[in-house]
Amino acid sequence: MDSRQNHAPLIQCVNITKRFGTFAALTNVSLSVFKGEVVCIVGPSGSGKSTLLRAVNGLQTIDQGTVTFDGITIPGPSRNVRLIRLEAGMVFQSFNLFPHMTIRKNVTLAPMRARGLSQAEANERAERLLKRVGIGDQIDKYPDQLSGGQQQRVAIARALAMEPKAMLFDEPTSALDPEMVKEVLEVIRELARTGMTMMVVTHEMGFARELSSRMVFMTDGAIVVDAPPREFFGPSTDARLRTFLSKVL
Amino acid sequence: MGSTFAETETAVAPPRKKTSALQRLKQSFDIGSVLLIAVIAIGGYNLIQWSRVSTLDFGIIVDYGPALAKAAGMTLSVTAVALTFGLLIGVGLAVFLELPIGPFRYLIIAHIEIWRNTPLIVQLFWVHFGMPALTGISTTAIQSGVIALTLQSSAYLADIASGGIRAVPQGQWDAIKALALPGRTGWLQVILPQALKIMIPPLGNLAVSFLNGSALLGLLSVGELMTVATRISNFTSKPVEVMSTVALLYLVINLFISYLTNLLERFAGHRYDAV
Amino acid sequence: MMQFEFSAITRSLPELWIGVQYTLALVFISLAGGIVLGLLACMGRLLGRGLLAWTCVTYIVTFRAIPEMVLMFWIYYCAPLLGGVRPSSIIAALAAMSLTAGALLAEVFRGGIGGVPRGQAEAARSLGLSEFWVWRSVILPQAFRIMIPALLGVTALMVKASGIASTVGVTELVYQASVTAGQSYRYLELFTAVGLFYFGILFPMSMVAKFYERKLALRAR
Repeated sequence: MDSRQNHAPLIQCVNITKRFGTFAALTNVSLSVFKGEVVCIVGPSGSGKSTLLRAVNGLQTIDQGTVTFDGITIPGPSRNVRLIRLEAGMVFQSFNLFPHMTIRKNVTLAPMRARGLSQAEANERAERLLKRVGIGDQIDKYPDQLSGGQQQRVAIARALAMEPKAMLFDEPTSALDPEMVKEVLEVIRELARTGMTMMVVTHEMGFARELSSRMVFMTDGAIVVDAPPREFFGPSTDARLRTFLSKVL
Repeated sequence: MGSTFAETETAVAPPRKKTSALQRLKQSFDIGSVLLIAVIAIGGYNLIQWSRVSTLDFGIIVDYGPALAKAAGMTLSVTAVALTFGLLIGVGLAVFLELPIGPFRYLIIAHIEIWRNTPLIVQLFWVHFGMPALTGISTTAIQSGVIALTLQSSAYLADIASGGIRAVPQGQWDAIKALALPGRTGWLQVILPQALKIMIPPLGNLAVSFLNGSALLGLLSVGELMTVATRISNFTSKPVEVMSTVALLYLVINLFISYLTNLLERFAGHRYDAV
Repeated sequence: MMQFEFSAITRSLPELWIGVQYTLALVFISLAGGIVLGLLACMGRLLGRGLLAWTCVTYIVTFRAIPEMVLMFWIYYCAPLLGGVRPSSIIAALAAMSLTAGALLAEVFRGGIGGVPRGQAEAARSLGLSEFWVWRSVILPQAFRIMIPALLGVTALMVKASGIASTVGVTELVYQASVTAGQSYRYLELFTAVGLFYFGILFPMSMVAKFYERKLALRAR
């Protein structure tokens, strides 16, 4: 399923370098994601996967290199970061729902305040999306009344409410109890089927193998392997990838 | 606290160059600093009464140096005594609260809440002037002062100690029971050391508070720093010099206490890391 | 053992009532001043660079380390150097209390804002919200909830500090109690009454603060 098109990638990271003091989190990392692709990023902890993902929407500042999202480049004019964030939805490992607001308010806040939707429009969108992720009836509850899996699904709906061009997932199931991982993966699976462009940092190998257009393996701040799943999980040429896969599969 | 101030503007910091001292000096002056300097300069120029300032005679301080030093010593000792006894009583009360003692606990709680929720100055006057009427015993100024300070500190410390004890991980209690350790050992060797380590930061704050509280003892002419300060300033009619020096002394002592607290925190951290 | 004479208290009620009014005025005005100073100091510390930040930190550290009584005396005597006018005792007391409150509140504000988990701001910004809305809808409401126990604590400290104003001659409650007790030698009755009054204000505040602390600890997930 080669979804590479002739026009430019939706997300383009070019030569990204980020250092924390003396620790090199990312060294000259380049990655392109085309529209409709699902790119799963895997690797040991400390490899820079989350740093790379967070660089895409500007949560992580970088020392060198550029990120271009749908034609908007950072570093650049100061409003570019916000423009990218309007079009890139992010889902965090620790959900980060706003605890002092109801689910409804969590999901309608950004559409109203950042996209200018009216209360009615935002509400309609929220109800539709929450039903889509399977939490329609919990809409007026507070986050602490929901389970982890439910909260993460709300987080996904909240990001989708901005009708983003791409979704960024930062280890979306790592903080969940095992029995709740499935429900969240199901939502992400459904999203992929509708053609959403996605970058997913994850440890869920089976899931990644099933859904990804491409798999990316990172260690020590660099991309080591970037290949479609069949090639990635097949007899691999890279020793480090072989070691990593033998430990996690 | 930089936690919620993530950069939102550009996504790339300028490549790191070596910043010379001059550059760093330039960086430390942003518009806020410039405004501040302007405000202080203009305000100072217009408001400060230079004629009066020039008549200040800080030489007085040198003359009375020994007296002030001795008074500072008394401040420290009074505070130390009050805090030590307060700590012993407070921890004792906190431990009692964890034991099954039935309705007796309400007496302890009442003591804690009463002495925590009334101003020290009221307590001081009550102990010195009011208690003799109640008990027939009259206490000297210094005794009243120390008693009032001790009672209040015991209340605060009981509260802090309770918090500290409760903050010890539940697993420690389980381990004590599983190993069938006798009560005293469990408390003295396991729980209290860990509780005390947790208590160090609030204890540091409390030390500062009570050192400041000891200034009130000056009202009873106990002989600590404030007493001596008012005496000297009345005698020499140079309150500005004396009060400034005394304020500075308190400041220095308190900063030192904060510094010690930090050291203690770090020292305790290495030896008592909970598993 | 002497008899406890309630009438000593009731006879002095008019003076004590004046004292209460002064006490309340001291507390509220110094808190108002303290909030302004505290906000300036907190923002100066967090947003300013170099000199401004350093000045704010110095202010905060200094005014937490000086006893209120010393500060009140100092202002009373030193203010003439800075304006030529000797302040009235109540102005000196208010100034001292406001400065102290400001230093305390600056730390409370810092703790409140710093207590909001970083992920909250990140999530809000990721959604594309402007800084204004990130602060208004996400950070500040949560910071406020976190600050409630500490705000009550500072209020309690101001109530206690108001008693110290009596030493510079402000006619608040402790002053009135001392004066009337001095006339009637009924120290026990009067100071017990005054003690109970303060207790009646401070104890409920302490209970509310504790309740909120427990609620916040439970919510921390």
